[in-house]
Amino acid sequence: MSDPRLARLATLLVDYSLALREGEVLRINSTDAAAPLILELHSVAIARGAHAYANVALEGLAEILVAEGSKEQREFVSDLAFREVDRLDAELTIWCEANTKSFSRADPEARGQVYAAERSLVNRRWERIGRGEMRWVGTLMPTNAHAQDAEMSLREYEDFVFRACHVAGEEDPVAHWRTVADELAARAAEFADTREIRIVGPDTDLRLGVAGRTWQPSSGTYNMPDGEVFTSPVETDTEGEIRFTLPAVFYGREVEDIRLRFEGGRVVDADARSGADYLRTLLDTDEGSRVLGEFAFGLNYEIDRWTRNILFDEKIGGTVHLALGSGFDDCGSKNESALHWDIICDLREEGEIYADGELVWRAGNFLEAPKPVVERV
Amino acid sequence: MSDPRVQKLAAVLVDYSVGAAEGQQITIEGPAAAAPLIREVYRRILAAGAHPLPRIGIEGTLENLMLEGSDAQLDWVNPARRDDIEEVDGRVVIMGLQNTRSLTSVDASKQARLHRALEPQRNRYLERAANGELSWVLTLFPTQAAAQDAGMSLTEFEDFVYAAGFLDRDDPVGEWKRFGERIDHVSEFLSGVSELRVLAKETDLRIGVGGRHWIASGGLENFPDGEVFTGPVETSVEGTIRFTYPAIFQGREVDDVRLRFEGGEVVDATASRGQDLLREMVAVDDGARRVGEFAFGLNENVTEFTREILFDEKIGGTVHLALGTAYPETGSANRSALHWDLICDLRDGGEVYADGELAYRDGAFLAL
Repeated sequence: MSDPRLARLATLLVDYSLALREGEVLRINSTDAAAPLILELHSVAIARGAHAYANVALEGLAEILVAEGSKEQREFVSDLAFREVDRLDAELTIWCEANTKSFSRADPEARGQVYAAERSLVNRRWERIGRGEMRWVGTLMPTNAHAQDAEMSLREYEDFVFRACHVAGEEDPVAHWRTVADELAARAAEFADTREIRIVGPDTDLRLGVAGRTWQPSSGTYNMPDGEVFTSPVETDTEGEIRFTLPAVFYGREVEDIRLRFEGGRVVDADARSGADYLRTLLDTDEGSRVLGEFAFGLNYEIDRWTRNILFDEKIGGTVHLALGSGFDDCGSKNESALHWDIICDLREEGEIYADGELVWRAGNFLEAPKPVVERV
Repeated sequence: MSDPRVQKLAAVLVDYSVGAAEGQQITIEGPAAAAPLIREVYRRILAAGAHPLPRIGIEGTLENLMLEGSDAQLDWVNPARRDDIEEVDGRVVIMGLQNTRSLTSVDASKQARLHRALEPQRNRYLERAANGELSWVLTLFPTQAAAQDAGMSLTEFEDFVYAAGFLDRDDPVGEWKRFGERIDHVSEFLSGVSELRVLAKETDLRIGVGGRHWIASGGLENFPDGEVFTGPVETSVEGTIRFTYPAIFQGREVDDVRLRFEGGEVVDATASRGQDLLREMVAVDDGARRVGEFAFGLNENVTEFTREILFDEKIGGTVHLALGTAYPETGSANRSALHWDLICDLRDGGEVYADGELAYRDGAFLAL
């Protein structure tokens, strides 16, 4: 008997996130450690009449490729792999690692070659999603490795994850996420005509131009758990300074207490208590890596702590996050970069946000509930 | 540190059986339970300059499909795996179940249906292999489940498996090459024979093999290996045969199978247990009533029955025949969704006559 919360999560992912239909092809990507959730998902997908199969990355193979493969082997992507992606109607990724630091000591160049090869397949997926040809959702199955990163026991971490997904109790998870979708859509709509966001907090006073940009709700169709409203700021209109009290993590490396100063949209000054060199290296990735690609409100209040995993951290209720680097086409962004690095700013203790000069958010909460604008039919 | 015999096994599979070469694409197909061997095979394929393409399965998806799937879902063949079959240069297929009996209670017609759906894919890779376009090898990673079926501890079973593959010796590839030369003599002898007659307890079976190609199987497509086989003349098989060991199909056993053939077709099939499954299998399609393979088991290190056909069909001193699809390179045209091996032990008094002359007795060829 597996954890009944896994079965509820599987149903939520198949019926709500992917809305899987009869005859569709679903690929479930994960590691062998995720077998219990893979089997639950497979079972629900079969019950819906879909054709589902698992694509399992065995722990250790990527490590062998990075350490022992030639450059040509590391960069190789079989045409078979592209054609496989092209045939999918839906894809589900379960992040589920037995050790989150397997690559910490790997040669960065060799690792980068393997990542680049993997990214070419992910890009293919996003092209197809953009054309409306397929759907994708990413989720996480708790392991001791993820729990350890979050400084919890596995049992505590499971409780945290399943609560964040709203599959822990008796409530109907699909109904919950439909309500969230309505609320976040209404919230996004409220910002449609906003020209400027101003963030004020300890060592922080940052103005972001958002005129003409589209705000998007993020409510469980691409990530589970979810809960954010985001946009991509105008590339030249970020001014001021911001201090990030939570560590920023990029590929397993942490940078603590980051301070950034922006002028004319670009980072002109950057410092950190630890990892400052790494921070500057990332800022120098390319032309677009000093420009913001994303600004977002984290609105999942079940996620109440930092766990070293961006799937959860960027949704912590009461935080905002900025991403340095590439922006989102569907928000109107023109910023391009190989970097997209989410950095979280905790505004739960003190912190205010003004929209066109009007106070809309204080100490981690909007002052008013969103006004419903979407009629559900 | 993994068992050094696993590293040796990976080296034999990749370098000898599949013969991986630079730039080739080679799938590694197996369950996560075979992780130690999959990792070593992956590593060895990289060392050969080829591209490993892992296709790792999770035990249990098949059960979901069988118990909950509709006919349309059972009939579905993943087009991505069909593409694999069309394009890869090699396949390393690794068995390693954690429970060999998880499908025992599944409706046999569903198993047959799924099996039928996969038939074109199976025929296609055999065809590409026969054309020399693809090399493949099937092996087994020892698990507790397989050990249990063999009635051994895991340690004992590992010793059995690796001894059968000569992996406890210094130069397994050299051993397999020498073994291959020895069994080539058997296939050369049989190539000149028109009819074989097998005599054993309650067994008197005549098999036409004139003009058919005999293949010595010395570790290239199965590992471990050790058999010489052909595809009999489709209409030639006449007489009766009683099989010594239980016949196993996807975890279900049929005991004491007896078959009677006329004009190459099974006309009577009985079993002391599992009669329904036997009848169901023989009725899968027209080709399932005919013999697609007849073979001599020649691996002297495989001495006992383990309930795993990869080993059992190579037991030195046995013969086996398979109902259903034939290997095209033998010259047989028999095709079926089924390929079901049944084993007859000849070590205790069995005889085989080649064109009327005694050629084999008590599990060994007289002159070879």
